Amino acid sequence: MIAPATVVLAAIVGWPLINLIIMSTQKYGRAQVFGAAPEFVGLDNFIFILTDDAFWAVFNRSIAFAAVNVVLTMTLGTIVALSMMMMAKGWRILVQLGLLTAWAMPQLTAVIVWGWMFNTDYGVVNYWLSEFFGLDYLGHSWFSQPLSFFAVATLIITWQSVPFVAFTLYAGLTQIPGEVKEASMLDGASGVQRFRNITVPYLRPVFAIVITLQIIWDLRVFTQIYALQGLGGLREQTNTLGVYIYTISLGTGDYGMGGAISIVMVLLMSAMAFYYVRRTLKEVED
Amino acid sequence: MKKGLFAAFAASALVLSGCAASETPAETSSAEETNAVVTGDIRVWINGGDTPQDARDYLKATFESQNPGSTLTLEQQDWGGLVEKLTTNMSGGDSPDVVEIGNTWAPGFTSALAFTDLTEYYDELGGSDLLPGFVDVGSFDGKFYAAPYYSGARLIFYSKADYAAAGVTVPSTLNEFVSNAEKLNAATGNSGIFFPGKDWYNALPYVWESGGDVATVDGGVWDAQLSSPASIRGLEMVKRAMDTSLAAKDGDEAESWVAYCTGKHSMLSAPSWAGGLLVPGDDRPCERAADDLGVFALPGLSGGAAQVFAGGSNIAIPKNSANQELALSALKIMLSPEYQSMLGAIGLVPALTSLGSTLGEGEIPAATAAAAANSKLTPASPNWADVEASGVLQDLFVKIATGSPILVAATAADEAIEAILNK
Repeated sequence: MIAPATVVLAAIVGWPLINLIIMSTQKYGRAQVFGAAPEFVGLDNFIFILTDDAFWAVFNRSIAFAAVNVVLTMTLGTIVALSMMMMAKGWRILVQLGLLTAWAMPQLTAVIVWGWMFNTDYGVVNYWLSEFFGLDYLGHSWFSQPLSFFAVATLIITWQSVPFVAFTLYAGLTQIPGEVKEASMLDGASGVQRFRNITVPYLRPVFAIVITLQIIWDLRVFTQIYALQGLGGLREQTNTLGVYIYTISLGTGDYGMGGAISIVMVLLMSAMAFYYVRRTLKEVED
Repeated sequence: MKKGLFAAFAASALVLSGCAASETPAETSSAEETNAVVTGDIRVWINGGDTPQDARDYLKATFESQNPGSTLTLEQQDWGGLVEKLTTNMSGGDSPDVVEIGNTWAPGFTSALAFTDLTEYYDELGGSDLLPGFVDVGSFDGKFYAAPYYSGARLIFYSKADYAAAGVTVPSTLNEFVSNAEKLNAATGNSGIFFPGKDWYNALPYVWESGGDVATVDGGVWDAQLSSPASIRGLEMVKRAMDTSLAAKDGDEAESWVAYCTGKHSMLSAPSWAGGLLVPGDDRPCERAADDLGVFALPGLSGGAAQVFAGGSNIAIPKNSANQELALSALKIMLSPEYQSMLGAIGLVPALTSLGSTLGEGEIPAATAAAAANSKLTPASPNWADVEASGVLQDLFVKIATGSPILVAATAADEAIEAILNK
């Protein structure tokens, strides 16, 4: 039964991956895209990026950005899931509909809509802040400072990630046996104690999967950052790994270098996922 | 499992036979050298809104009557991010059949051999009548790959009412122009000149006029010049001009005519063909009266017209286009006097120099001629397209607009530019 699946997987995942590895050891530019023979350069591309300050700046920025987003998304997602447990059915359906709408919106559309709200000249956010709060935000550029650029990006990404986390955790929460909760309540456990000693252990595998997925998604984020850069801001100070790879590969036409960065990124994400999944599985065994 | 495998085979067999069936007619017709007509559906990529609607309609109608059974679809692309998009799309099997490219990117693609060699059609397409500077960028290694499409000059449009209110007159030098902008800003509260931070095309003339440059080449090695003392003097003038602008400090110049029509900007530097968009139109409100619009060519440091950026486009046939003959037919129509005259009629400089008169009479054509006479190009390196795509110039001018130290920003930009050009 596995054989056909393996063949298909090898073809659609393995082949591009092998090509990527080969490309990362070559000087591969726009001329090579259109048919010229590439030149083998060994590990030059890797040595260059690992000793390049620009790469490490992007790298650290991506890690920090992903960390903030994962923590925020998980916290908000958990709160939403827990409150859904306590809601009356009508309210719960309303919340679920809202979450679904945010989740179903294409990423690019979301960025354009949010981007317009934060537009320097015509944005509703600047208008509200000035009109109703008396702050001087007319003509304020949200994207020109890296910190507020990423604040807007975080808002958009969290807004679209919370629904997935909330739904998954909610599904997990409904599987916790009612007797356990009831028993703990009879024993006088507080809300916090019940969450720590019942909910978390029951949901540990769910948390593990969701957090791993969120780390990977937020590390390789592309659409939102790339589209926001089109609306404003300094590319050099707002590049994250995904956008950086795109800029190096397709923008400056250096596919070999882009391939090398991709491989470093894949190794990094695999290491993190491996470490995290292993740790979680260990905790389950304990 | 066996059933699944069989289904997969059947499906792939169907797909493969489908491909074969569609390819067969084209192959036999070329192999037998018969007069059998090649038909197909070709896609032409044009960029931005500068190609007028009547020219688009003419191209489609003429092509489809010349090539019965074939269709032509125009797909309009955004200029932003287009180098990346072109590279991706032209390298694949589903390449567009005719593409418009910014003239400064042409060497990046011709040197990569991305286009079909058009050398044998050079005379038929216009020969020595074609805009010479554009033929140069469209050629590589003695072969002709990308034909000129049109050239555009950037002009300064201004509000006569605001000029009267500020008590200034049409400037004759670049310094006077910048001080006009400052006076306009002080007197009317409007932008002296609409100057968003990412608008590097409009910033380069200040650098060139001050004696600076983007990069110079010596013995095959590029030396970026933006932090040279002369360039810095130019960048300081850019800063002065930007300080009079209400435009977003990190915004770009796309659709700048919409901004001008809000009535909040006294001057605007825009391509010549945008003149028609700066007055009220049938379906387009504009806060500026029709007779309020004035125009001049950006003045140079010591009078005359400034060296402005020679914008424009080339057109070419991607090597990977599946419909080479049909694409050539469309390309010929786009370089025909009829089609090119339609471009001239809206203020674009036609690719055929003999059609210069189609620009007509009046203020805009006169200013266009003055500006085009003294226009200048970005460094002639195959890697220049990569510099544009990397966004380093946008970053530089956004930094200047937001008040970063100019020398530091320019030095960083120089390093980035040299790294790409000398790659």
